[in-house]
Amino acid sequence: MDRLLVVRCPDLLDEDEDGTALRSFVEVVDAVEAYCPWITAVRPGLCSLPARGPARYFGGEDALIRSIVGATSDITPVEVGVADGLFAAVLAARRGLVVPPGGTPDFLAPLPVGILGNPGLAELLARLGIRTLGDFAALPASHVLGRFGADGVTCHRVAGGRSGELAELRQPLARRRVDEQRGGGRPGGAPRRATVVDEPGFWGGVGDTDVRAGRSLAAVQDLLGPDGVVTARLQGGRGPAQRARFVTWNAREPQEDSTLGAPWPGQIPPPAPVVVHPTPLRAELVDARGEPVRVSGRCLLATAPGRLSVEEAPWAEVTAWAGPWPSDERWWSRSRRKSARMQAVAGAEAYLLLVERGRWWVEATYG
Amino acid sequence: MFVASPDRRDVDAPPPGPSPRRSLDRERDLASLAVLAERTRPVSSSQTRLLPVVPPLADLLPDGGLRRGSTVVVTGLAGGGPEGSGGGISVALALLAAASGTGSWCALVGLPGLGAVAAHDLGIDLARSAVVPRPGAAWAEVTAVLIEGVDLVMLCPPFPPRPAMARRLVARARERRSVLVVVPGRAGWPEHPDLHLGVSDMRWDGAGTGEGYLSGRRMTVTATGRRSAARPRHRHLWLPSATGAVAEDATGTGTAG
Repeated sequence: MDRLLVVRCPDLLDEDEDGTALRSFVEVVDAVEAYCPWITAVRPGLCSLPARGPARYFGGEDALIRSIVGATSDITPVEVGVADGLFAAVLAARRGLVVPPGGTPDFLAPLPVGILGNPGLAELLARLGIRTLGDFAALPASHVLGRFGADGVTCHRVAGGRSGELAELRQPLARRRVDEQRGGGRPGGAPRRATVVDEPGFWGGVGDTDVRAGRSLAAVQDLLGPDGVVTARLQGGRGPAQRARFVTWNAREPQEDSTLGAPWPGQIPPPAPVVVHPTPLRAELVDARGEPVRVSGRCLLATAPGRLSVEEAPWAEVTAWAGPWPSDERWWSRSRRKSARMQAVAGAEAYLLLVERGRWWVEATYG
Repeated sequence: MFVASPDRRDVDAPPPGPSPRRSLDRERDLASLAVLAERTRPVSSSQTRLLPVVPPLADLLPDGGLRRGSTVVVTGLAGGGPEGSGGGISVALALLAAASGTGSWCALVGLPGLGAVAAHDLGIDLARSAVVPRPGAAWAEVTAVLIEGVDLVMLCPPFPPRPAMARRLVARARERRSVLVVVPGRAGWPEHPDLHLGVSDMRWDGAGTGEGYLSGRRMTVTATGRRSAARPRHRHLWLPSATGAVAEDATGTGTAG
C-alpha cells in the first residue's frame, strides 16, 4: 500500500457560494505541487501525494511536512499527516500525526467502527459487540463477505490497514472543478497522472459503475488471491494462445485497450475460438480403420480423419476438417519440434487441433 | 412502448366502428395513448430497466433486451465435448456484447480458457471485463459478490449447484438488478430461469475435406421463458459469422417467429 501524505485544510472543506474556498484550495494544491507533481485532489480541502519519493528528496518526512506547512501557511491553516493508504493518512492529518511505516493497523485498531462512514455496517457491528476497527479487522474475511457483502469486505480491508480506499473518501468532482478553476488544461505542463477519471459515461453514471465493479472485484481478489481475477489484453500473435495475455486485475491501473494492426503471417483467419485451453487437451484422431492419423513432413495427412476423442471421452465422428497447416511454434514445449495445426468438426464441437511428433492435442475449442 | 396494462384499459380505443363520432374518439384516444406512453416510458431504459442486446438476439428476448435482475440460462447442443459447450458459451458471450460495449461491466466466472479474441470480435469490451478463471469451491460466493457490483455476470459452474445455492444467486441478482447468465454445461442448473436459450441445428461452414477454413457457424437459438416469453421464439443465426460477430442467417428464416 502506498505511503501517502495528506494535506487537510479545515477551513476549505466546505464549498462556499462565491468559490473563494475552492480558489484558496487551488492555491494550496499549486503550492504543494512544487514538492511533488503527483498530487491528487481527494475532495475539496483535501489533497494527497505519495510520501516516499519526496521525503527522501527533501530529507525525511518531518522535513517534507515542515516545508509544506511553510509553503501553505500564508494561504490557509493546514493539517498534515502521513500513513499507509489514504484512509489512515486522512485520519493522521486530522491529528497531525506521522504514522510509522507498517504501523497503520495499530494506529487504526482503537478507532470506533463508525469512522468508516458506513452507519448501517457500524450499527450491525455494534449489535455483534464489535466497536473498534481492530475488533472488526480480526473477523475472518470469509465471514465478513457472507454477512456484510462486498461493501463490508471493502471496509474490512480498510479497517485492517490492508487497503486505504473507501469510495466515500473521494469526491472526484472537486478534481474537475480544480482544473476548471485553473482555466482548463495547463498548456506545456506535464500531463497529470490520471487518478480518478470522472467522465460521465455513455448512459451517465458509468464512473459510478466502475467504482462498484472495482469494489466487487477487489472483494473476489480478497477471497481467491490477486491472481484470482484477471483481465484480457489482446496482442499480436499467430496462434490463439499468443493473441491474448491475461493480467492480474488491478483497479489502479488504467484498463486501456490495445489495438493490433500488424498482420501476422500464418494466423488462422477469424472466427476465433471461444475457449483457448490453458494447457492443451490430449486428443486421439484416427482414420476410418481406427489407425492414428499421421501428418507427413510436408504437412499432408496420410489418411482422412474418421473419429476424434478428446481426453478419453467417447469417440465423435469427424464431419469436416481444414488443414493441416505448418506451425513452427512450440508454445508449451521447450524443445524445437515440427508441429502443425488443423481445424476439425466432430460431434457438436469444432476444434483447433495441434499435432506434434504424431501426437494430437486440442489447443482451442470453437464452443 | 411500455404501457402498464391498467392504464391501457383506461385509454384504449373502443372497438372500431364506421360512425364518424367513433373515429373521432379513436383519434383522441390514440393521442392520449401516445402521451401516456411517453410519460410511462423509462427515462433511460438501458440504465433503469433493460440492458441492450445485439439485434439478431434481441428479437429472441421478450423485452428486446436483458431485463435487469433476471437470470438467463444458455445451453448448447447436447453432446458437446468434455471441454466445449456445444455453442452455449458463444451464445452467452454474444448476449453480453452490446451491454458491455455501452459501458456495463462483465464478469466471467469459471471459464479457465476464455478465447479473448473471440470475445472481442463478438463485441465485448475487454477493458471492462474481468475473468475469474478458477473460482474452485468458492464459485457461488464469488458469483454472489460479483452480482453486487457488476451488471453482467456469466457463470459456468465448475460443480453441480445445489438448488438452495442457485436460488440464492437468482434472488441476489434480482435484488441487485444485475443479469446472471448461466452456462451450466454438464454441471446443470436446478432452477427455472426467467429465460432459457437453447441451441439446435448447429452447422459449421467453410471446412470440407482439408480445404478452406472454418468460416462461420449457423445455429438455431430457441428462447423460452415465463409469462410473456412462454411461447418459444426461434432465430436462425450466424454465430460466429465470418468476422467473428453474430448475424442473422437470412437463408433459414422459414420457421422464424
